[in-house]
Order: sequence, then structure tokens, then C-alpha cells
Amino acid sequence: MTKETATALVEVKEIHKVFDLGSHFLQKHKPKVRAINDVSFSIYEGDSFCLVGESGCGKSTLARTVMGLLEPTAGEIHYRGQRIDHLKHKQRRPYHRSMSMIFQNPYASLNPRRTIQKTLEEPLRFHFPDLSTQEIKEKVEEVMVSVGNDPSWGKRYPHEFSGGQRQRLSIARALMVDPDFIVADEPISALDVSIQAQVLNVMMDAQEKRNLTYLFITHDLSVVEHFGSTVGVMYLGSLCELAQTKTLFAKPRHPYTQILLSAIPKLSCEEMQHSKLTGEVPSAMSLPSGCVFHNRCPYANHRCETEIPLLRSLEDGRAVSCHGVEEGRIDA
Amino acid sequence: MNRLKTALDSDFFYRFKTDKVAIVSFSVLMLFFLAALFAPLLSPMDPHDPIQIDIMDSEIPPLWSSGADTDPDERFLLGTDQQGRDMLSAILYGLRISIVIGLFAVAVQMIIGIAIGLISGYFGGRIDSFFMRLADIQLSLSTMMIAIIVLAIFQASFGADLYEELAIFMLVMVIGIAEWPQYARTIRASVLAEKNKEYVDAARVIGLGAPTIIMRHILPNTLSPLLVISTVQVANAIISEAALSFLGLGMPVTMPSLGSLISSGFEFIFSGSWWITVIPSVVLILLILTINLLGDWLRDVLNPKLYKG
Amino acid sequence: MALLEVKDLHVEFPTRRGVLKALQGINFTVKRGERLGIVGESGAGKSLAAFAIINLLSKPGRIAGGEILFEGKDLTSLSHKDMRSIRGNRIAMIFQDPMMTLNPVLTIGTQMIETLKAHRKMSDEEAKLIAIDRLTEVRIPSAEARLKSYPHELSGGMRQRVVIAIALLAEPALIIADEPTTALDVTIQAEIMSLMLDLCKTRNVGLILITHDLAVVSQVTQKILVMYAGHVVEQGKTADVIPAPHHPYTSGLISALPQQNHQGKRLYQIPGSMPTLNALPPGCPFAPRCGFADDPCSEKLPDLLTVKHRRVRCFKAETLSAQGSLS
Repeated sequence: MTKETATALVEVKEIHKVFDLGSHFLQKHKPKVRAINDVSFSIYEGDSFCLVGESGCGKSTLARTVMGLLEPTAGEIHYRGQRIDHLKHKQRRPYHRSMSMIFQNPYASLNPRRTIQKTLEEPLRFHFPDLSTQEIKEKVEEVMVSVGNDPSWGKRYPHEFSGGQRQRLSIARALMVDPDFIVADEPISALDVSIQAQVLNVMMDAQEKRNLTYLFITHDLSVVEHFGSTVGVMYLGSLCELAQTKTLFAKPRHPYTQILLSAIPKLSCEEMQHSKLTGEVPSAMSLPSGCVFHNRCPYANHRCETEIPLLRSLEDGRAVSCHGVEEGRIDA
Repeated sequence: MNRLKTALDSDFFYRFKTDKVAIVSFSVLMLFFLAALFAPLLSPMDPHDPIQIDIMDSEIPPLWSSGADTDPDERFLLGTDQQGRDMLSAILYGLRISIVIGLFAVAVQMIIGIAIGLISGYFGGRIDSFFMRLADIQLSLSTMMIAIIVLAIFQASFGADLYEELAIFMLVMVIGIAEWPQYARTIRASVLAEKNKEYVDAARVIGLGAPTIIMRHILPNTLSPLLVISTVQVANAIISEAALSFLGLGMPVTMPSLGSLISSGFEFIFSGSWWITVIPSVVLILLILTINLLGDWLRDVLNPKLYKG
Repeated sequence: MALLEVKDLHVEFPTRRGVLKALQGINFTVKRGERLGIVGESGAGKSLAAFAIINLLSKPGRIAGGEILFEGKDLTSLSHKDMRSIRGNRIAMIFQDPMMTLNPVLTIGTQMIETLKAHRKMSDEEAKLIAIDRLTEVRIPSAEARLKSYPHELSGGMRQRVVIAIALLAEPALIIADEPTTALDVTIQAEIMSLMLDLCKTRNVGLILITHDLAVVSQVTQKILVMYAGHVVEQGKTADVIPAPHHPYTSGLISALPQQNHQGKRLYQIPGSMPTLNALPPGCPFAPRCGFADDPCSEKLPDLLTVKHRRVRCFKAETLSAQGSLS
């Protein structure tokens, strides 16, 4: 792999995130939610790094931690080699310009009381206060056209637009300051099927034209297969498998990835297969000992119950955190 | 023109148009406001000017009234009070003073309440706990009690003359400061709901500072509940002022508000001069009723959950 | 005889700006044990069809025409009381949000036992046994212990199973499931869907599955109804429609799925978005977004024509299918 030599754009290093649940003065022990446990990965320039997992696996928390919306409990976030997670608000400013975000809910991510023009101008006026009104207007027009929106929408309010149009407006806002890196948190899961393709296309076009790097959060594996270049599969706050998309989809190695892949509904007129997954996702308030997946894993043994598996690289470039794979119990 | 057209076409206006209670209360309220605004033009005399008052005209009954000791006089449509002041003029000026105190007191409440509510809600933690406990303490003391204590002390220590000069200002401040927790709590609740929405995250991702986010993004989205409680609060402030005046702690008799008018006529009610008290009372009740009805209507319209259910 | 026969169903919503035609002439039948999928985007009217059948249209919506024959009786003319007994007994409803069915302040057991006793005379003990039996049937582990749980103590997938178990208490002949797995994770979706599939087969129950997910429909149902802006645009056997759609909209929906596209390449996309009901174009509602539309399409609404074993609402279905433009 040539990527080993390239420097990573974003590095996530041993991130932990623990939420204290509302403590009560009568309670001795504060309940804690261990949302992310020791997750590390690197995102290289030009990548579309997809994080997949089911609800509650910590993928959105991780995305928000990378963007600085949440502070990690432990660990570091690096951007172009610089540590950014501990920066003060003012020092962080250049990174706010090069990192941008697209949100899940197009109905909540645009301020309902501001016109489209004002919403789109805001990042520009903030980061480039010297720009003239004319320059700002031109930039807004350019970006609006590039995401397939009519530039004359500026005077209108978000509620006048459909979900797909709003999501494209949200993308436009993210693109206003020409960022290098965009975090997209479930950007298409609230949209209708025929609109999902439109939004994905806009995102792929933008990547091609503007040389963007994406961190794409989703629960939809079929989108990952199409969109992602690298995939990280998360389960209950831990990274189970990290691989090139093609490698992963050709042959998933971690038992959870295998089950996740088999559960994707496929467009075929054959009756669906039974999913092999038993039981429920345990609560992040009381994580299972050892491997977090052991109580639902068909291959679990005593070691899995006691020892936390580490993410180990395999010869085909992927990394898997599973004792079974490491020991060769789960066949290659 | 275009804006007017959109406004006239909006759901808000449609629901106003189809609700008789809303139309009637709005019209009556507007009538009161206009009357208060143009009081100097509408009144036959200036009730604050002692030169225009003739003690010989005292206690003349309203025009339509008969059977009283004195005969009605054509100059005084609603009769006169014990000083010979024209009731119509006194009521128009009194309405003006009551509404001014109501609005300004609410403005004071709003400024304090919004500032504290925004800060509490957005930053949370200790700041939030501090302000909310302060609000709890404030709410556990009744507005009237605070007002009575403060005004009585002021009157006693600075004398009645200075008090008469500063009465409006004092009433506005006292009623304003005593009721801020209502606003602070309402605002804080909406801030808590709004600050977790993605558009606030989007603003944080841009890198905007807390003051910009609060003022530009959160505040405009918390305004509709404000509108609703403001109507109720204006009514409450007017009532508080009337009550204080009635107790002799409000507006002086030389510059009467509706409350002081009611109060000053109260001693004559059994001597047959009912109009001095009853007419301002009716005006006060109508004013409060219309404001509250309008407030109820606003709450129904602005709360979509209530509407659907 | 068909279990459910919907004939020319019209639903409309009177508003102050005129009447919105939310459903315009829907026809379909469901036999016992048959599985029908209704697919469409949000606002296409797919849920309305279900709510119209069980007479739960939200105000001011109303059935403006047509018949809904269930076991021979016309549901549109039934009294509220008769309708209620059919709704609880013969037709079961499963919603996207299980909490629409479950009462948050009662235990699962209480809710199930009360449902049972409301319909049939039996002792608490008998009812409890039946409840445990149903919970086991929907593959809930340690069913007896679960009777004491409150809905909030269960995960989303478990709650949906409980809802299915409650639906099965009254031995329904038809289950209407409105986006039953949309709020659930893929692995749980797969389990719930395979559970529903098994139940329909073993109990010979009819199923109407309402969803936006073509892949799920293709794996679960035998018949499919594709809706667009209040109209049925294509309807037929799932095995005929999915591999070879004949309406440009159906075809577009399928082509837009990431699975159908080359990895990393632009996806096929349908331009624009579905018109809202108050701004329906004259003629075919899909014409403004359709790559094959010409003048007649934007002037007159096409009828449902029979083309290759299915019904298609498109003037050009035959030509397009002959050219193979929709493959």
C-alpha cells in the first residue's frame, strides 16, 4: 500500500469518551456511559473514510469529537500532524476553516429563522472578514450552482424547501470556506430513496472538484460499499475491523462484520436469510468484559470473555480486533 | 407590498380572521391603546393640571345617570371625582399610565430574564444552578410582598414628594425586577431545547463564538414562547400596578393610574358616587381580559402540539 | 375469495385552499397468507392506504370513494363499534414506532393479558400462558420474565417483537405493517423481517408491508404496489416488477440504489423531487422528472395499462419495454 508513506490528514489516537450521566446528590456512583473505547485510525488525503455501525456504537460521538464539538476523555486528534483536540477556541480558528461538517437531519441543521443567503454567508464573513459584498455574493452563487441548487433561493427560508434541497444547502454551507476535510454524519439517512442518490452524487462531485477528504458516518453498508474507500466497523464503542472497502466487502473477517454484511437487505426476489446474530447490544453503561462482542459472537471462547482484543494488522492491509482471527480459529 | 401579501396569506392571519374572540379582543385592545396614545387629544381637560380642576364640579354623576344628589353636567360625560376632575380625562390618562407601566415593567423583566435565561441555558453547569436557585428564591417571595416592602421603605426614607416624582420609574423597576424569573425560566427551557439542534452545532463547527451563537442563532428561535408569556406578563404588571396603587403605594392621586382612580373613589362608593370607582374598574377589567384572551389565542396558534391534539 | 379487496379507493383532505387528493383510485387484493408490499417515498400516500383500510385516517382526511371489502364486508360502511372489533381481532397493525401501540405505564404482561381478556373470557392464568406462548413465538428469550418488564426497559427491536406478539394474540387474518423496521438497525431489521415472514407462512396470515425500502420488499413480498403522489404507478408480482420494472419511476428507484451502481461512480439519479399534493402537475405526476416524457404525458393522466403481467400507469410502458430502455 502506497498510503503508508503518505502523511495522514486526520489521525485519531487512542480516543476514549466517557459521558457522566446526570449525577444526583443522593447517588454515590455516577453512572457512566463508555461511548468510545480506545479507537485509533488515520484518514489520508483524498480518502472517503466510512465509519459504520449500528445505533449506539459511538460513531456519531466519534465524528463530533473529531470536529471538536465534544472533548475526548482521553486520547488525541491530530490534523496535518498538529494536535488539535486541546486547542483553545481562538487557536482552533484555522482548523474551523479547513474542517467542515454535514448533519443528519436536514430539517434541524439550518436555522429556521435565517434566510438561505445569511446562512451561507455566515462562514465566509466569519473566516474572511475582508471580502467585499460582491465577492461574497459571487462565492455563494458559485457554491449553490455546484451543489445543484438555484442561486436565486437566497432570500427564502429553509422551511420552503424539501429535504433533499435542504441537505444540498447544508452541503453548500459546508463548502463555503473551501475546506479540505468534511465530516458527514448520516447525511442521507433522513432522505427518500430517490433523493439519496442525488445527495451522494453531489458529495462525490464535490470531492472530485475540490479534492476533499470525507469522514462519512453511516449505518447503511450498501452506501459504504459504493462511496467509501476505507471502512471502519464499530461495535459498542470499539473498532472491530478497519480495511479498504474492496477488501472488506470481498471477505469480512471480524464475526460482527460478517453478520452485518449478511443482514443488508438485497434487491433480489429470493427470500431473505435468517440473520445469525442472537441477543441484544449490551448497554454502554456496563460493557461486557473482554471482547465487547463476545456474548453475541458464535465463535467466542474463554479468552474472548476475559481479554480485550487489540486491533492487529493482517497481511492484506486490514486490521481486525478479534482473538479468533488472530488465533486462526476463524478461517481466512 | 410583497411582504404584506405573504403576511395576509399566512396561516397566522387566517386563524386570526376565523377566530371571533381574537378579532374582538384585538379590536378592543387596539381601541384602548389608541385611546391611551391620543389621550391628550381626546380628553376634554388635563387631569394633571390643578388649574383646570374646579372643586365646585366635584362628584357630578355620569351623563346618563339620574337620581343622584347632583345633576349630570354636559361637560362631564362620565362625571367627575371628589376633586371635580373629569372622569373621562382621568381614565384616559390613567389608562395611559397603566399601559406605560405595564409595558416598561415587562421590558425590564424581559431584558433581565432573557439575559439570564440565555446564559443559564447555554452554559449550564454552575452558572445555571446559581441563577435557577436565585429564581426559585425570588419566586418563593410574592411579587406584591417585595413591591410593598421596597416601595414603603422608599416612601418612608425619601419622603412623599420625591416619591411622587419618581413613582412611575419606581413601579416599573420594582415590578420589572420582581418578575424576571418567569422570563428566565421560559427562555432557559427553550434554549435547552434549541442548543441541541444541529443548526447550533453547525454554527459551532464554523467556529463562531458563544455570544454570536447565542444572539444570532438561539435567541431568534426562542421568541415565540416569549410572545405568549409577554401578553400574560403585561396583564400581570398592570394588575400589580393597580393593586399597589390601590394600597396607596403606587401612583399618587395627582397623577392617577387606573388603580389609584379606583382607590380614590373607593371611599365614596357608599355615599352614592359609584362611578368614580366602578368605571375605571370596568376599564381595567376589560383591558386585562382582552390581553389575556389574546394571549390564550396566541398560545394556541404558536403551539403546534396543542393545535394537533 | 380474497381476504381483503380494495376497490377504487379515494382519500382526500379538505383544506382551506381546496381539496387535496391524497389517494386517487387504488385497487388491490390480498389473499390469506399472501404478502403485499406498498412502496413509495414519504408523501406518496402509502401509509394513508393502510390508515384508510382500518378507518383511522387522521382528521380532516376522509374516504371519498371506493370500497374496502374485508372477508366480504365493506369496511367503509361499518359502524365505529364493528370497526373496532375488526381492528383488534381480525386486522392487526404494526407501526414504525412501537410506542404507538404499547402503553408506557403498564407492564408487557398486563397489556397482553388485558388484550386477551377484552376479546375472550378466560382466567388470568390462561391468559398468561397464551401471552408467554406468543412471546416465545416471536423469539423473545425468557418470555415469562419479560411479562414483568415495562416497555421502556426493552430495546427497540424487542419492543417491536412485543408489538407483533400482541398483534398475534387475537389470531388476526391480516397484518398491516407500516415501516415496521425503519427505526431499527440492519441486523435487527433482518431478524424482525424474517420473523414476520415465518409468521405469515405458519399462520397463513395476509401481510401488507408498507415501506420505502425496495430491497426489503423484494425479499419479503409476493406482490408489489408502487405509489407516487397518490397514484399507483406500477403494480404486479414482485418477481415480475423488481427484475424488470416497466414504469420509469420504479426503474429509476431501483437504478438509484447504490447496490445497482458501479462502485465509486456517480449514482443514477432521478432529478427533482416528488410534487406536493397541492402542486400536482396536470397529466402524469411523474412527467416533470421523467426522462421519457413528452407532450401527452404532461397533458393527460395515463390509465393503468396491462403490460407484461403487471399494471403500469405510463403511456410509453409498452414502447419502452420493447426498446429495453428501462433495464
